[in-house]
Amino acid sequence: MVTIKLFGTLRLKTGCKVLEADVSSVKEGCEAVAEATGLSYKELKQCIVVVNGTQTKFSAPLQAGDELALFSPSGGG
Amino acid sequence: MATKYGGYMGKVLMLDLTTGQTSEYPWSDEERKLYIGGKTMAAKIIGDNLSADTKPLSEENMLVITTGPFTGTGAPSSSRFNISTLSPQTGILTSSNCGGNFGYYLKRAGFDGLIIKGKSEKPVWIQIHNEEIVIHDAADLWGTYTGHVQELLDEKLTRPNGKPVKSGKIVIGPAGENLVRYASVVSNERLAGRGGVGAVMGWKNLKAVTVSGNKEVPIFKKTKFENLNYNWIKYLRNHPLTGDQLPRMGTAGIVSTMQMRGQLSTRNYKYGQYEDYEMVNGETLAETCNIVNKGCLSCPIKCARTVEVNGKAVKGPELETLGLLGGGILNNNIDLINKWNYELDELGMDTISAASTLAYAMEANEQGLWDNGLEFGKTDNISEVWENIAFRRDIGDELANGSRWLSDKYGGKEFAINSKGLELAAYEPRRSVGLGLGYAVSNRGGCHLNGGYMVLVEGLSLNVDQQTPHGKADFTVVFQDLMEAVSSCGQCLFTTYAFFPPPIISRPNSWYTKAFCKAVPFTGPVLRLLNTIPRVACIHLPIIFNQSKALHLITGMPVTFGSFFKAGKRGYTLERHINTRFGIDRNSDTLPKRLTDVPQIPGDDSTRVPLEKMKNVYYKARGWDKNGIPTKKTLRKLNIKLKTKA
Repeated sequence: MVTIKLFGTLRLKTGCKVLEADVSSVKEGCEAVAEATGLSYKELKQCIVVVNGTQTKFSAPLQAGDELALFSPSGGG
Repeated sequence: MATKYGGYMGKVLMLDLTTGQTSEYPWSDEERKLYIGGKTMAAKIIGDNLSADTKPLSEENMLVITTGPFTGTGAPSSSRFNISTLSPQTGILTSSNCGGNFGYYLKRAGFDGLIIKGKSEKPVWIQIHNEEIVIHDAADLWGTYTGHVQELLDEKLTRPNGKPVKSGKIVIGPAGENLVRYASVVSNERLAGRGGVGAVMGWKNLKAVTVSGNKEVPIFKKTKFENLNYNWIKYLRNHPLTGDQLPRMGTAGIVSTMQMRGQLSTRNYKYGQYEDYEMVNGETLAETCNIVNKGCLSCPIKCARTVEVNGKAVKGPELETLGLLGGGILNNNIDLINKWNYELDELGMDTISAASTLAYAMEANEQGLWDNGLEFGKTDNISEVWENIAFRRDIGDELANGSRWLSDKYGGKEFAINSKGLELAAYEPRRSVGLGLGYAVSNRGGCHLNGGYMVLVEGLSLNVDQQTPHGKADFTVVFQDLMEAVSSCGQCLFTTYAFFPPPIISRPNSWYTKAFCKAVPFTGPVLRLLNTIPRVACIHLPIIFNQSKALHLITGMPVTFGSFFKAGKRGYTLERHINTRFGIDRNSDTLPKRLTDVPQIPGDDSTRVPLEKMKNVYYKARGWDKNGIPTKKTLRKLNIKLKTKA
């Protein structure tokens, strides 16, 4: 299982903080989020993809136990 | 002096608290053209009047409160004002910028700026209504907290018919009265927080200033400006940062991103990630604490939060406060941060310097340098500590002097997280080395915004290599100069985030965003051309950067993007030139050794700030010599001339 966390406005829009999914790639992870939250796959494709703390490609593979974090763009303070 | 330009009221008021006399400060159209307004105008006034012998807490020191030509015109996020003075915290020029509505009402009263010098014998407050200026006794206001004193002033300003006079106010709290070196000036719920401007006001025995009036700000080409303004506001509202993230989450929205990038200062900057960050991040603030989003007058971004403390709706914490009073001191209770934020505002103290000084004291105690009873993760005594600082009681009397003063006395300079005496914000620069350079060279000391805010591209909004020093110095100069010019117009710096076109921000996985991020470290030579000859940009940048065109349409001055950029460059070097009077040079542009000598990730030497290397490139790009002093040629090129000699 992969743990998927949502951050930024993605979380505020959906109210979803974390979910578990049996997926083997970031793409599949985003599909799982789209199904669970109602967010469009297109929107998820535009977010910042972080696997185990490192920003990575949308096409990256995932392994059981990985943590996938999806961030909306953020600015400053 | 009257002006031919729009956007200005044509008068700068000078008030001497020693004599009670008022006069008009001579400020010419030539100076308006060169220095625009805001912090740059204030720097010129201070540079012309104060010498190297002037002490921050002295009758000679001036509080220079300025607006910009955008203030009061309806331009987006333009209700700001600036306070500059010699800082009791750093001993050099400081400028502190504030939202709220004081700037707007100062112009309604007919003034572009207000200069306060001298010292009153007893506590007073000043009432300005159009040309009428009255100095009132403030015995009944002295000792009050910042929220309460504003309520009392509202009562005093109420007309006989019971209707309140619409006015702007600045006040200080107990911290300013007791000369806490990082005391702030408060306007509504907004703060001019940095550099101890509140202590200078307190030393002058000035509790408050109120301004009101009914004058209109003239605009050179009103219809054309209104058209530009309409599209500008629309652009900001549709931008992913200024139209989505900041309105929805405020500045708190970047805590999680900072954590992910290793940029969240933790345990007094020992680490860059905090394991309990999800308990004190922007998402938690929005989901569990925020009541309503608020914003300053004329602002379409509306980044302010409102939270409940003791049953009262009050201003919520900014990112810096969440970071430094969260992971910075190992506190995972967001309700406590909301409460402390409110208490610090009420006492009138800068949350950044207060929090960072506290973290230093905790570490000094832990290392056996100073037995003070403060410990990381121990939160039950913090509210009492704030009170003790503001009233200079017990250990609060020493904490009130800031981390530099404390490390001079007790040692531990390597973990006193300040530059030039001003504590750093919550961004950990070992994972944003460009910001590390910015913190070190910033004119007012360790400030992220005055430092150029490179962290925006080094991880927050874009994914430019966080660790490479390449290209960072040239980019820092560009950002600093643009922000200087925007601030001088009286506009909020958050509008500059829209400088990056929406697709680049909202599509991080696109080929063009990736290409842009990869290219940034190699853009030095191109940026150097712009830095050396700003006039090459003899156009207005359409859509993404409206400030230069707006300045032309509001004032009637001939402005291009290049001349606008040059004005920012002039302002930045002017501030440096003034600071050299007070001993600032290359040796002052430093960071604590924890950030330059100790890698954040053990064994990975790239996770420290390679400061000296970047400084060499930075000084060259600025036209300063190897010692960090602006050369005569650079001063001449930028038309910088001061009346008082250095």
